[in-house]
Amino acid sequence: MTKKKSILSDQRFIVVLVIIVLVAIFSGLSKEFRQYSTILSMLDFSYYDLLMAIGVTFPLITGGVDLSIGTGMVCYALISGTLIRNNGLPVVAAMLLCIVLGLVVGLLNGVLIGVMNLPPFLATLCTCMITRGAGSLCSATPWPALTQEGGWFHSIFKITVGTGRSADRYPLGFLWMILLVILMEFVLFHTKFGRYTIAIGSNKEAAALSGINVKFYHVMVYVVCGLFTGLAAIAYAAVTPTVQPGTGAGLEMDAIGGVFVGGVAASGGYGSVVGTFVGIFVIMLLKTGLPYIGLQANWQQIITGVVLIVAVLIDILKEKKNA
Amino acid sequence: MEKLKQNPMVKKLGLNRILLVCILIIMFVAFRAVLGSKFPVGDSIRSTLNYVYFLGFLSLGVTFVIATGGIDFSIGPVMFCCALVSGYCMTSYGVPMALAMVICVLIGLAFGTFNGWMVSYMSVPPFIISMASMNIAKGIASVFTKTQSVSWPQSSDPVNGWFRNIVSVNGFPVGLIIFLAVAVLCGIVLYNTKPGRYILCLGSNSEAVRLSGVNTRKWRMLAYMICGLLVGIGALFFVATYTTVQPGYGDQYNNEAIAGCVMGGTSMVGGLASIGGTVIGVFIISLLQQGIMAFGLGKGQQMIITGIIVIVAVYVDVSARRRKN
Amino acid sequence: MGEVILTMKDIDKSFPGVHALDHVNFEVKRGEVHALMGENGAGKSTLMKVLTGIYQKDSGSIVYKGKETEFHNTREAQDAGVVIVHQELNMVGDLTVAQNIFIGREPKKGFRIDDKKMIEDSKKLFQDLHIDIDPREKMQNLTVGKQQMCEIAKAISHKAEVIIFDEPSAALTEKEIADLFVIIRDLREKGLGIVYISHRMDEIKVITDRVTVMRDGGYVGTLITKDSTKEDIINMMVGRVIYEDPKEHSMVAPDAPVVLKVEHLNAGKMVQDVSFELRKGEILGFSGLMGAGRTETARALFGADPKQSGKISVRGKDGQLREVTINSPQDAVKYGIGYLSEDRRRYGCVVQKSVTENTTLATMEQFTSGLLINKSKEKKVTEKYIQELATKTPSADQLVVNLSGGNQQKVVIAKWLTRDSDILIFDEPTRGIDVGAKNEIYKLMNRLAAEGKSIIMISSEMTEVLRMSDRIIVMCEGKVTGNIDISEATQEHIMTKATRNIN
Repeated sequence: MTKKKSILSDQRFIVVLVIIVLVAIFSGLSKEFRQYSTILSMLDFSYYDLLMAIGVTFPLITGGVDLSIGTGMVCYALISGTLIRNNGLPVVAAMLLCIVLGLVVGLLNGVLIGVMNLPPFLATLCTCMITRGAGSLCSATPWPALTQEGGWFHSIFKITVGTGRSADRYPLGFLWMILLVILMEFVLFHTKFGRYTIAIGSNKEAAALSGINVKFYHVMVYVVCGLFTGLAAIAYAAVTPTVQPGTGAGLEMDAIGGVFVGGVAASGGYGSVVGTFVGIFVIMLLKTGLPYIGLQANWQQIITGVVLIVAVLIDILKEKKNA
Repeated sequence: MEKLKQNPMVKKLGLNRILLVCILIIMFVAFRAVLGSKFPVGDSIRSTLNYVYFLGFLSLGVTFVIATGGIDFSIGPVMFCCALVSGYCMTSYGVPMALAMVICVLIGLAFGTFNGWMVSYMSVPPFIISMASMNIAKGIASVFTKTQSVSWPQSSDPVNGWFRNIVSVNGFPVGLIIFLAVAVLCGIVLYNTKPGRYILCLGSNSEAVRLSGVNTRKWRMLAYMICGLLVGIGALFFVATYTTVQPGYGDQYNNEAIAGCVMGGTSMVGGLASIGGTVIGVFIISLLQQGIMAFGLGKGQQMIITGIIVIVAVYVDVSARRRKN
Repeated sequence: MGEVILTMKDIDKSFPGVHALDHVNFEVKRGEVHALMGENGAGKSTLMKVLTGIYQKDSGSIVYKGKETEFHNTREAQDAGVVIVHQELNMVGDLTVAQNIFIGREPKKGFRIDDKKMIEDSKKLFQDLHIDIDPREKMQNLTVGKQQMCEIAKAISHKAEVIIFDEPSAALTEKEIADLFVIIRDLREKGLGIVYISHRMDEIKVITDRVTVMRDGGYVGTLITKDSTKEDIINMMVGRVIYEDPKEHSMVAPDAPVVLKVEHLNAGKMVQDVSFELRKGEILGFSGLMGAGRTETARALFGADPKQSGKISVRGKDGQLREVTINSPQDAVKYGIGYLSEDRRRYGCVVQKSVTENTTLATMEQFTSGLLINKSKEKKVTEKYIQELATKTPSADQLVVNLSGGNQQKVVIAKWLTRDSDILIFDEPTRGIDVGAKNEIYKLMNRLAAEGKSIIMISSEMTEVLRMSDRIIVMCEGKVTGNIDISEATQEHIMTKATRNIN
């Protein structure tokens, strides 16, 4: 009965091919791109995108969206950073605060969408504005640098051995990312939470009639997204010398674009965290690779927009063919 | 309350709209009472109107899109893109003023057409295309201007200063006249013409309209095009009031425009739109921004308050609809 | 039949403005199949929703297994063993069969869901029911019939003692209905109480032991099926004897010209090589079982769905039959074809808009002078049709959502009459319309045909087909299997053709 799917029809496989092609092009055209330090910095800047993307995969599978992740992330980093600077908050507590803020905003989104039935894009567009506004009440603040007191948290993502030459740095964060991806893939496909996430995206009414507490799980989807946004805030603080208020709008695009490249359906119902993982690297490669072949950094915004449209169009055309 | 609703005069104007006007007046009086001289009547009205001009066009535009049951939150950045690209053409390539203004409106129209085409002919969900367009608009503006801000001519400019007359001539608010005229025109289009009828009906039940032999794709696309056109015009009013535009911004106006529209009684579900409501809604939002600034609060608080207002307005709409069914 | 397992007594339920259930009595015994019958809006679904906890009763008592009970939601009802198999399938397409069956009560192994156990248990369930379905298949890949089987398996897996089937056969083929009956008989053997809601009189006779009839929210009575006739039940349902005499012979003039000719139409799986002709003033009945491809044929013909091949010719105003290309409803409307969907709320009218706006929807051009809509002309024409069709509405400005099904149908008819369409496709014209309004719609259709309009009428009600049609096209599994003149048509004749391909 079950049709054997060819590996070629799996979008994730195609995305991996795209990554290989992109890497080949960039490293062929640019010598600098081939250096270890480039890879290292690319990975550095991928963590927060990836964390946001893992989180937002869940709302997107339910057919919703969370537009507040970009500004939210910056807002949490700003508030915690300010507290470290001005009130001597220990870095551990600041990290916890990031996560708590993420959970709170996630809960707010969840209640607005799951309980009060607001359209997801509108509710999160509002929380996007609110977090951006809240962030801009703070002033620009750097988190402690690596050599400063409390700078140890950088080592979570990039461990430095010996003298500090880049050759002695290792992208420890990549390991955490892989572990998180595996964990969340497991959560998506083998736990109640994940299964009901898919059920809500596929047929919310049927899920409700099956006796599932749809409201609760719908809220939880956004709480989980908020949790990952909080984690992303820590990763963002670790790579951004000074977090600027009023920024962050547009960062959600990279994450959401990556998720769609990874094969989540535009209307919800299916998707995978592993897909998100490979999808985000396409975005990251374009983001970091383009300057190496002589394109302005601002092109990246345009290209991300186009990539998002193309990824969604592919999904829509596939759907049409199947119907 | 019930009695009030039955009053023929109230029925004609719409209870909702009367309430909104009351809110507007109460807000103004309250600001004046609390802030006193920090909220001078003349200046406040002038700055509110300045805000109304560009925001009003965005709001009117997005009313058409929301009437189809869609959304467009690329309008803010697109407005900036229009102003930046056409302004840069003028300042750096010597394009004449009149042509620059035309380019400005055309860029808005182009974005509207693209969004509309993607939504209606390619079936891309509106919120996705909004996100993409927002990025593309910001990207184009930054790339084109090499991330420089662009200043349009001052009114003292002997050659090109005339374009500011669209806002005011010797203190006479020409902008208000133009804005209200466009609003009336929008109302006529929406309620008294074939395209408007189709837009409202397809927002309510697209499939039934299609099965009546109507080209729903064309009319849905038209709604986005009207929106884009109005955004282009809005961009002109923005620069005629505030002169300078910076690349990379504009998102906050998305929310304010949608807030004005939803507050005015246009339903997010589609099919129900009130141009009159949108106009009053825009006034309320604009006055609110002035009030917030007069309180000495900044952009941050503005965004937070607008965000909350949209949430409340949409929630009222959603729960009212649910009660009806 | 065994002891009584469920008694509902004096159940009363009101909604704002509607007395939905008026002291209704109903009981189910172990090992019986109890039919619940009544016209649309009689209150059957409401009663079952009260039983399964979707609605709360205002008064009355429910005694289940000897204990006074009230369920507060479907979950509680399920856990107690009262399960409903919904008419609209209640499944999550992106999950597998096993995942659907156990949704909401997945077996767990620590944090993870024990999918292996779920698949094993599903297999066992299917074995007991003698159904061949792979529990690992995604639900959306199954046919409607198989999906229904999964729903039943799900119901049984709840250790159900009372199962309610809400029009289960509506979407099934003959073969699948036969399979379903085998399962239902098996469940009856096992001592379950079964409630069977259906409109199909033949099925009621075959499968049920008792029949309870409801009318207008009230309880009418309960009969033993084998001791009562079809007429008895119908009389109880409508409260009066209705005459549905079949048409004796075709009313179409022998020399009436062909207005529509469809040749070798192909569209997907459901429309294969369909050819037929429609003549002026003719009512052409389309008969067949659910899923025979009738609606699909109409939609493809109308341009609502894409088609692969086929030739369509339409008679022009000059009397010439010529080939036309129809790729969208716009094209069809241009050639004078109108389509009245079975699902009026979704495809027929814009319910949140007024009667006027709906009436002129397909003919805006006629009502625009210059750029503006001529609203007074619009209103005049609408009022003319309200009168002509005897549409019951307080005014032309009333929102269509506030009208009854029959009057909504009239609004849709008015829409196409405004357009002066010569060919009207009625898809289940009287579905969801009560008896009185039904007759009005029939009269109207006859009048339209007499005035020279040509009508294609898709109908699943045999009496309707025999009463209205001049000629009958029978379809089965996407193919035309019969083309019968009304003078030769009998129920048996049509049924044989309608099941020809099914083995």
